[in-house]
Order: sequence, then C-alpha cells, then structure tokens
Amino acid sequence: MRWRWLKVGGSELPPNPPSFFGTKEGRGFGGGSPPPTFLRRTLLILPLAAQAPDPLPEVMAALAAVRESRAAFTEERELPELDRPLISRGVLTWRAPDRMEKHTLEPVEERFLADGDTLVLEQPARGIRETMALDAVPEVRPVVEAIRATLAGDLATLREHHEVVFSGTFARWRMVLTPRSLRVRAAVQRVTLEGEGGAILVVETQMRDGRTRMAITPLR
Amino acid sequence: MRRLVARYAALFAALAVLALAFPLLLRQVSLRGDIADFLPAPKTEESAFLLEELRSGAATTLLIAGIEGGEARDLARVSRAMAARLEASGLFALVANGAPRIDDGEAALLIAHRYALSPAATPEAFTEAALRRSLEAVLDGLRGSAAPLVRRYGFADPTGAFLALVRGWAADARVAMEHGVWMAEGPRALLLAQSRAGGLDTEAQARTAEAFRAAFAASDPPPGARLLLSGPGIFAAEAAATVRADVRLVSMLSSVLVAAFLIWRYRSPLMLAVVAVPLSAGTLAALAVVDAAFGHVHGAALGFGMTMLGVVDDYPILLITGRAPGETLREAARRIWPTLRLATAAAVAGLVPMLASGFPGLAQLGLFAATGLVGAALTTRYLLPALLPAEGLPVRPLPERLAHVLLRLPARRGVVLAALAVVAVALALGGGPRMERDLAALSPVPEAVRDLDEVLRRQVGAPDVRVVLTLRAPDAEAALQAAERAAEALAPLVASGAIAGLDHPARFLPSAATQRARLAALPEAATLAERIEAARQGLPFRANAFAPFLEGIEAARTQAPLTPADLRAAPLLAARLAPLLRQEEGGVRAILLPTDIRDMAALRAAASRVPGLLPVEIKAETEAILAEATGAALRWAAVGGVLVLVLLGAGRGLAGGLRIAVALGGALMLTFAMLAALGERISVFHLTAALLLAGVGMDYALFLGNTRASARSGEASTEEAARALGSVITCMVTTLLTFGLLALCRTPVLHATGLTVTVGVAAAFLLACALAPGRGAPR
Repeated sequence: MRWRWLKVGGSELPPNPPSFFGTKEGRGFGGGSPPPTFLRRTLLILPLAAQAPDPLPEVMAALAAVRESRAAFTEERELPELDRPLISRGVLTWRAPDRMEKHTLEPVEERFLADGDTLVLEQPARGIRETMALDAVPEVRPVVEAIRATLAGDLATLREHHEVVFSGTFARWRMVLTPRSLRVRAAVQRVTLEGEGGAILVVETQMRDGRTRMAITPLR
Repeated sequence: MRRLVARYAALFAALAVLALAFPLLLRQVSLRGDIADFLPAPKTEESAFLLEELRSGAATTLLIAGIEGGEARDLARVSRAMAARLEASGLFALVANGAPRIDDGEAALLIAHRYALSPAATPEAFTEAALRRSLEAVLDGLRGSAAPLVRRYGFADPTGAFLALVRGWAADARVAMEHGVWMAEGPRALLLAQSRAGGLDTEAQARTAEAFRAAFAASDPPPGARLLLSGPGIFAAEAAATVRADVRLVSMLSSVLVAAFLIWRYRSPLMLAVVAVPLSAGTLAALAVVDAAFGHVHGAALGFGMTMLGVVDDYPILLITGRAPGETLREAARRIWPTLRLATAAAVAGLVPMLASGFPGLAQLGLFAATGLVGAALTTRYLLPALLPAEGLPVRPLPERLAHVLLRLPARRGVVLAALAVVAVALALGGGPRMERDLAALSPVPEAVRDLDEVLRRQVGAPDVRVVLTLRAPDAEAALQAAERAAEALAPLVASGAIAGLDHPARFLPSAATQRARLAALPEAATLAERIEAARQGLPFRANAFAPFLEGIEAARTQAPLTPADLRAAPLLAARLAPLLRQEEGGVRAILLPTDIRDMAALRAAASRVPGLLPVEIKAETEAILAEATGAALRWAAVGGVLVLVLLGAGRGLAGGLRIAVALGGALMLTFAMLAALGERISVFHLTAALLLAGVGMDYALFLGNTRASARSGEASTEEAARALGSVITCMVTTLLTFGLLALCRTPVLHATGLTVTVGVAAAFLLACALAPGRGAPR
C-alpha cells in the first residue's frame, strides 16, 4: 500500500533510492544513501545507538546532518469533491537551518517558501506574491514545521507543535504527527512522514475530508 | 509673628474660605471642551458640514502609530502583539495593522449576503463560460498551497463573490506588507486605530494614547524600538500637555518675579494675599454665574476669562497704593470708588456685546469676564477694607527721578499725538495688520508632532482629503441610493483620470434597492444547475461538488437586504462604513471622498450636475469659517467700544472721555502696529489679549486722569498725581511680570497673549501718562 505512492509517473523508484534530499557533497541525509556515506554516518552514530535503543534521536541526528538538499516531488491530492486525485510535480529545496522551498512546476507553477519566520507564496500565473509572517498565521505554522523541523532534525520544535509517535528502525522509519492545537486539528488531523535514515521519502497529510500524499525523490 | 497673624487674621480667614470654595465649586461646575462652541453658527451648508466634521467626524478619532528602531520581523511581532492587546482593550472600534482580519461571525454574515454585497455578483459571472472559468480557477487553487482556503470557500462560492468583496476593501490600503503587517521604509511598522471615544473628548483620548503606550511596553519591544503616535486625539492631549508645561514654568517664574516685586514695593509678602482676595472672589463668582446661566463652563471660556480677569489684580493695588497719608483704607476705598466703578462699568459695557454675539463660547467668555470684574471690584470696595488694618500696607516710594520724568510727559503731548498719527498712517499704508488665516498656525500642537503626523499619514496611505463631496437624505437607504447615483455620475472622472478613485458608502454597503436588484438578476435554480453541470464536463469535480453553491444562491434569494442597522455583527464593515455614512439630526449624511484630484474644475463641474451633491473644499471652507469668526469678534468688539465711549463720556464729560478714548485707542493701535512690525499675524488669541489690554489701559487712563476731577490745591494735586502714578506703575509692572514671560512661549495661544499684553500695557501706560490732564511741570 505504502509503496503504491512511490510508483510515480509509471516508473518505479529504484529499490534502494538515493537520499531524498541529496547534499552537495553527495551525502544524503536520507537513508539509502550510497554505501560509503552510509557507512561513515552509521559509524558516527553507532556509539549513540548502542547506548539508546530508541532510533528516533539517531534519525534526527542524521536529518540534522544534512545542510542542503534538493529533491523532486510528486503530490497527489484526494478530495471528496473530486472523482480523481489532483497530481502536481515540482522540486523541494532545503537549506539549514530553516529555509524550505516547495516549487511546484506543473500543472500550475507555484512557489511556497518558508524562510525563518517568513512565508512567501507566489503564483506567477495569477500575479500573486504574498509575504506573511509565520506568527501571523498560527494555523499554518504546525503544518510547515511538520516537514521543516523534521528536515532540521529539530525534535524540540516538532514536539512543540505535534504529538510525535515514532515507529520502525533507523533504516526504515515512520513518524505520525498529531497537531497539538485543536484549531489546527480541525483542519489537519495527522501528518505521517516516512523515511530511511536521514531522508524523508513520503509525507502524507490527512485532512478533515481529503488527504495529500507527497512522494519525494532526491536530486543531485 | 503671632502679632502679624492676629493682625491679619481676617485676611487669612477670607483667603482660606475662598481656597476651600474653589474645589467645592469645581465639583459642581461641569467643564466642557467643545471647541466648536467658539466657532460661529454655520451660515452655509458647507460650513455646517465642516463644523460637524470638526466636532464629531470620523477623522477626529483616527490614531496612527509607527513602531521603528528594530528589525522588520521584530517590529512586525510587536505590531501584531499590540494590535491584539488594543483590540482586547475594547477602547477601539477598529484596529488595523495589515490585511483586514475578519472574525468568524462577520465572515458568516458577509458570506450569507455575498451575492447582494459583492460587486462581482453580476449576471455575467453566471454564464456557462464564466462558470467554466471559475471552476477551472477553483481546480487550480486546489492544487496550490492555498488549497485549504480554496476548499473552504470555492465550492460554495466558485465565482469568488465573497473574496472579491473582501479584496475590494483592501484595495485602498496602499501600504506595503512585510512579515504580515504594514511596513513602511525605515523599517517602520504601521498601525491604525479608530477610538470609540470622540476626538474632542480630551481625557478619553489621553486614555487611548495611554493604551497604545501600555500595549507597546507589554509587547516585549526589542531594545531601541520606539513608538510614534499621532492623531487628532493625541494632538489634543499633546497640546494640553504642552500648554500645561509652558504655563507651569511661566507661572512659576512670573509668580516669583511678581512676589519679589510686590514684597519690595510693600515691604511685606502680605500684598500677595491682598491681591489674591478679589481675584479669587471674582473667579468664583464668574464660575458660579456662568455655570448657572449655561449649565456648564467651557474650558476655553475659563482659560481666556482668567486671562481677562488679570486686570482685577490692579484693583487692590490701586486701593492700597492710592491711600493718602492719614486716610483710613475705608475712606480710600470710598474715595476711589467712583473711578473704580466707572472703570468696571466701562469694561463690562465693552463685554456686553459678546453676550449678545450668539456664539455660545464668546457669550460665556463675556459673562465670565463681566461677572469676575464686578465681583472683584465689589470685593475691593467692601471686603478688603474690612479685612485689613485701617492703615493698609506700607508702600515704598518710587524713585524720584522716574516719577519726575513721567509726570512731565503731558508737556510733550503734542509730540506723542503726532507720533500716534504717524503710526496710524503707516499702519493704514501698510494695509493694516495681517490676519491669521491658517487654522494650523493656531494649533497649540508642536510643529514636530504635526510633521510626524503628516509623514505617518502619507505612509499609511490615508488620503489627503482636500475635497469632500457630501449629500443628505432623510434615511440611510435614500442616502445610499443617492451615493450610488453620485458615484455613477462621477465614474467618468475616474476613467478620464481627473480623480484617481472615489470612496463612498455604497461601496461597502450597497443600498437595499441595489442589493435586491443583484439578487433578482441571479439565474434561476434550474438554469444555474444546468450551467454548472455543463461547465463541469471534463473536470474532475463530482456531480454534487457544487451543491453548496446552488443552495447558497437559493438561500441568498430569500434573504432580506443588509442595512446599516444589521451591522452590529460586522464590526469591520461597520468601521469602514461609519466615516462615510453618518446619522445626523433629521437625516443621514453620505460622504464621498475623491482621491488624488488632478482636475478640480472637472470634479466641480461633474459634482454640480448631481442634484443635492455638495462639494466642500476643506481648506478654503476652514479659512472662511475662521475669517467669519474673527470678523464677528471684531464687529462685536467695535460695538463694545462704542458702548465704552458712551459710558466714559457720561462719567467724565466729553473731553475727559475723549482723552481716555484716545489713550486707549492709541494703545491698541500701537500694539497692533508693533505686532505687524514684528511680523505677527493677528489671530483670535491676539484679539482676546487686546480685550484685556483695553481693560487695563482704560484703568490706567482713568486713574491717572482722575486727579483733576478732585483737584484741590496744586501741592495736593501733585502729591495725588504722584500717588496715582505710583499705583498705576505698580499695576503695570505686575501685569508685565505676569504676562510678559508668556511672550517667550512657543505655543501660539500663550505667545500671542503674552506679546500683545506686554507691548500693549507699556503703550497704554505711556499714553495714559502723556494724555493725563496737564498740570504743567510739577514744582
């Protein structure tokens, strides 16, 4: 079931996908990075892992180690009013500590940038460019932090906005986030992230009625 | 010391009673601060509108705040925190710091009425082709990050009637947004608020300003951040504070100087107490009588009235100093009474026309001053001699040389009269003193504060309102319909660029007729369902996806139009509408604001073609009101002058009356000539001060000219003349010390009063000396 989403555009993802957000140095912070990198990182984390069997800190540390990355995404949105899902594609960019950009390229171009406390939403076709403070839209912040704080490996911020339930292993994990704010929960019930090591591969958002699932493929 | 107290026990007891009476009386008296009381009754509709606008217009309740001195994101955070606090305070009808935030209740109301209110709800929006475009736009929206918003409104309102409505409101905000709030260069975060309290309610406005400062302090501002605050309410508070500070400083200084002088002259500080008795008694009487007659006392009448009562300081001085050797104080009081009585009567006569002027403010001022004068004169005549020992207070003689020179002045009368004539001609040739026409110049608001206001206003995009178009109708519906017609008639001006835009009430709340027409133009339910079905083809929407839209249209059809009375649940819409639609006595007024007027003639021409639409050019109209007010004050002063002359003629005979009139008129003329030479523009403050000046000038002339009336032997006459001179000099020095320092203040009202009195009192004194009945050179 889960793997269905990784089948994007008719082509199956490689069995051992490269890191979702590949870094410039070629190091993904994602799981399934090329063997040398993977080995090196595992060696670094090994002593910690030996002490604490809980892989969550390990995953967070691996995520935090990635300073920059780029990845392609395919998003499917299912809504009760629609008889088939809406599909859009684009590029995700991450730069530590807090710059995350979702650039949708098709079918309608849109740029969504969370940089520090600033949100920018651009829809060139409609001539829309809006800048907002994240503080000014408290109901959006948890949704942004669900992905951004995870990318940053910032568990404290993540827990500030969500209940975090982690399952799986370092190599293949799954994190279910439930927004703490009732107001937010009225719109977004749950955000589920799946990944391998320091890479996020799937972000699934369950909304009141409807959900989106974003499958992520690292780029180099 | 004990002997001193016993000797003056009566005086101290009287002072204590008066001092106690003040707070008691002030508790009974209701003070008011409506400046419009001092403006003339409106003669034209334009001026009536402007006066009402000054009194209660929405512009008077607007506050603008800037937050600067930090990084934009910190300032934005402070701006948001402040806005939340200010909103919670309940003091404001509207707080805005960025895009409008509509609460859920208001949104629900607006959504329910979207097809009646929105300009986008035209029949063209519901054709199949237009619906297809709308549906495609909804689909595009659903793909993007704003999808939750699109889902929330898109299926019920695919044509975007509600969003167009809200966006239309925001269109006139031309401020750049940064970090979610208004941010001008600097960076400077901007906040706007509309206070619930009226703009002329100084105390409430001071509270709103305090709420701003407290909200700023509580919003954890970054170090170095500053709050800038502006608005008419702030102005009033700021002005009051400036005037109070100036007055405190000056009155402290002048009290010290006057006290020093009186102590030197009377060898004892007791004279201060003596002077205080008639002044307090007169003020108390004036307060009580004005309150009884009008039901309240105007703050300005109290302020100006006290200025004019400055003249009564002279009465006790004239009594104490004018006492002849061997005479008891009671006898002296009886002797000077006819002169004092005449002086008071003439001064009251000069004030009587103000009572009849018809301006409530001026009438109060006249009554206040007249009552105070009479009260103080009676106190001096009957109370003071009873309070003081028979020999009064010891008086130090004036330096001989000074008295000698002054007493010889009448010999130079010809020269003085010639000089007066020259000045009169020069003044006439110079076109007379220039009158102040700019209302801003009269404002006690410091210039720096006014400059800041201008900058903030420009930054926040508040239109510089030069011209207001206004119309009246019996009720709100008629006013809204008229505004719609007017807006339609003026639309070509916007198209041609003569004006950039037009703000009007129906933009926010269309008339019920327009709302009904819009609803009637909505397509039939079946037709609409067919069109939606057709428009949906090939798009991924399910068949019932737009059921909320069809239901919404059906619900809208049966809904009664939204009227101003229904807006309690819509504070944002109400706040937008309030400045443009106003309940008035016997009707409703609509206000239309053209922005960026480039072709005034075209605007005037177009406006004149709309029946009932009245263009008001603010600056010209304000100047006209001011000129009217000053003109009326001058006319009444002239009537008062004639009355004074008649009374003086009756009391002193034709020659005596004329002599006093020349001394008085000459002093006033010299004063205005001097003011003109100093480049001062004459304002209402100068004129009020001139009334005080006329009062003291007349006293000087009367008392210095009195000696002949009681002419005895030459020796006695000269002695009496010297004594009268001594009294009058003391009066003059006290007045100069009291008011002279005001001339150094920068607040217009204080500066004008101080300068006029200083120049005038000196001129009045010298003229009174020169024109006193000739005795030739004293031996």
